[in-house]
Amino acid sequence: MVASLASGALPGAVPEAGSGKVTSPMKVLGIGLPLLYSAAFFVAPLAFLIMLGFWLVEDFQVVPAFSLENYLDIAQHMFAKSNYALAIAQSLWVSLSTAFLAVLVCYPMVLAIVYLAPLSRHRLLLMLAVAPFWSSYVLRLFSWQILLANKGIINSGLAWAGLESFQVSLIYTQSATRIGLIHYLAPILIVILYVTVANIDRDLIQAARDLGATRWQAFRRVILPMSRTGLLVSASFAAIVSFGDVLAGALLGGGAGKSVLGSVPLFSNMIMSEYASSTNLPRTSALAMILVLVMILMLAAGAALADRNKIDAG
Amino acid sequence: MNAISDIAPPQVDLELRGIAKSFGDFVALERVDLAIERGEFVAIMGPSGCGKTTLLRIVAGLESMSSGQLLLRGQDISALPVHKRSTRLVWQNFALFPHLNVRQNIAFGLTLRRHDKAKVKAKVDEIADLVQLGQFLDRRIGQLSGGQKQRVAIARALVTEPEILLLDEPLSALDAHLRIRMQSEMKRLQQRLGISFLYVTHNQSEAFSMADRVVVMNRGRIEQYGPPEEIYTQPKTHFVAEFVGSNNIFDGKVVDVEGGLIKVQCADAVISAAAGERPPGKGSTVSLVVQADKIGSKPAGTVAENSLNAVLSGREFTGSQVIYHLETAAGVEVKMVAQEPFSQTERTAINMAMQLYWSPGDTVVLRPGIVPGVENIPGGRSYVALGA
Repeated sequence: MVASLASGALPGAVPEAGSGKVTSPMKVLGIGLPLLYSAAFFVAPLAFLIMLGFWLVEDFQVVPAFSLENYLDIAQHMFAKSNYALAIAQSLWVSLSTAFLAVLVCYPMVLAIVYLAPLSRHRLLLMLAVAPFWSSYVLRLFSWQILLANKGIINSGLAWAGLESFQVSLIYTQSATRIGLIHYLAPILIVILYVTVANIDRDLIQAARDLGATRWQAFRRVILPMSRTGLLVSASFAAIVSFGDVLAGALLGGGAGKSVLGSVPLFSNMIMSEYASSTNLPRTSALAMILVLVMILMLAAGAALADRNKIDAG
Repeated sequence: MNAISDIAPPQVDLELRGIAKSFGDFVALERVDLAIERGEFVAIMGPSGCGKTTLLRIVAGLESMSSGQLLLRGQDISALPVHKRSTRLVWQNFALFPHLNVRQNIAFGLTLRRHDKAKVKAKVDEIADLVQLGQFLDRRIGQLSGGQKQRVAIARALVTEPEILLLDEPLSALDAHLRIRMQSEMKRLQQRLGISFLYVTHNQSEAFSMADRVVVMNRGRIEQYGPPEEIYTQPKTHFVAEFVGSNNIFDGKVVDVEGGLIKVQCADAVISAAAGERPPGKGSTVSLVVQADKIGSKPAGTVAENSLNAVLSGREFTGSQVIYHLETAAGVEVKMVAQEPFSQTERTAINMAMQLYWSPGDTVVLRPGIVPGVENIPGGRSYVALGA
């Protein structure tokens, strides 16, 4: 009776017996180190950014305060002047379509490596697929500039081949931004997807074939549903990285690249230019916080989608 | 022989003609011939690497063969791709689809073609009842026990009404208790459905307890094919005698043939054996096989037809029986199985001298010969039983 009262009084109490009590120094170290790392290099800067968003600028001096002025100001410009809402929409459109296209490019590549190449060649093929990752991102974007420019290699090549009337104008459009982002993301997505697909038990595919499935049916009914989590993880990853990326939008998208939404800059590019031109750092921090918030929402949506798929499959 | 089988001669379900398979230089199967009658439970037994699983996968169409022909109910299926064959395989690790629930797993094969949803549901319900999975149909695969997974795997194969069911060590992932229960369950199911089962195992008791006929394979060829009793009491080759766990083998030379008995000089003693129809000649080398449970121990001094002195080196109590490990003066190991332990007055002790005896009628004679099916292989010397 006493025991039940005691445990009832302290609902959060750790049970006496069990692993909760036993804490070895190694365990403390194992949990403590990553926590410390994340506190120092993630939580603290983020907290500072959040805090900075509430500060104010007076006489060109940053003054600590707790004011919503920055956010109110941004809210007023959501659909006017800077038109932040349109920039966020442009960023969402570009990042989500980039994620979709990147997965569409990488998944077949991974399927080819896993199911068409002999096992002994997997490592070599993966290395080759990942190789572009070891070159500089900026360098790769410059290379794309040279390729995609109006008088660039692709158009010169087309002209040389006698297709002068058929010229592509890709540079400084959001399509060019997407190309640069996909090239940047592909190595990472290939590795994520390879881990997923290579872990699908081959016996399951053979079992499907034995039960009468054609190759296509085995893909459609076994490989694809079993790749689902990997596909969603890699797509979320691609979407979030694209949403935060600045360089592709600046160097290939030209700052305000054209898309179906019009010549609207990405939200990240807008933050960058405000950071470079304005002296109001707290206001820029508030903008950055909005970017982080949208990213978190995207991540949550991805996780919810993955969960829903699990329930659907059951 | 009953009246029905007089009218309808046994039909062959599956016929393997000269199936051969090599992986590079490694010969996995050497011209295997085998016929399985309709409704028969055939177990393929052999050590790992003997080619039994390869053979099964060739029948399923998951592995190509180097040469040979496969006939299923008289139809040549050699060139048929895996998904067009009406054979079904039950996998060692079950190979159930983790993203589907039990019902969806069982229905998998039925939903690949144009189908009527109500009919599929009815069929799945029926087979689920048969394998006692009725109340688990909505469970996820991860929530099932080993035995339940096994039943799902079997149901998933059977629901497509295969012409023959292929099973690749389907019980090896289960614990010993469950294995015994599933054995009888599987046998009952097979008899009820009347479908042929081709069952691969390395486990002798599994093969013997379920199969109508047993194939013993070694190094890519069939050593013996027959009912379990025959494999057990009349091994035809040296390998079979050795592989069937409880046999003692004595090598020697024939010194005398008379009165329906042959006398063989072995390392420790002269052993008599029933001569059979075609006794080996004097001076020929033979191997004598005696089952461990045919050997008894007698008090010193009494006379018997075959007797052997040996020293006890170990004793294994397995519950219903006791296995005695003994060694003769010449260093030959002998196993003896007694149904019950010796009486309390005659306790056994390690290094105790014992006198073993058995009847010549229980002694199987193997002589060096040619194994059927390997006539053309140079140096393919093996041992075949007399009268074979």
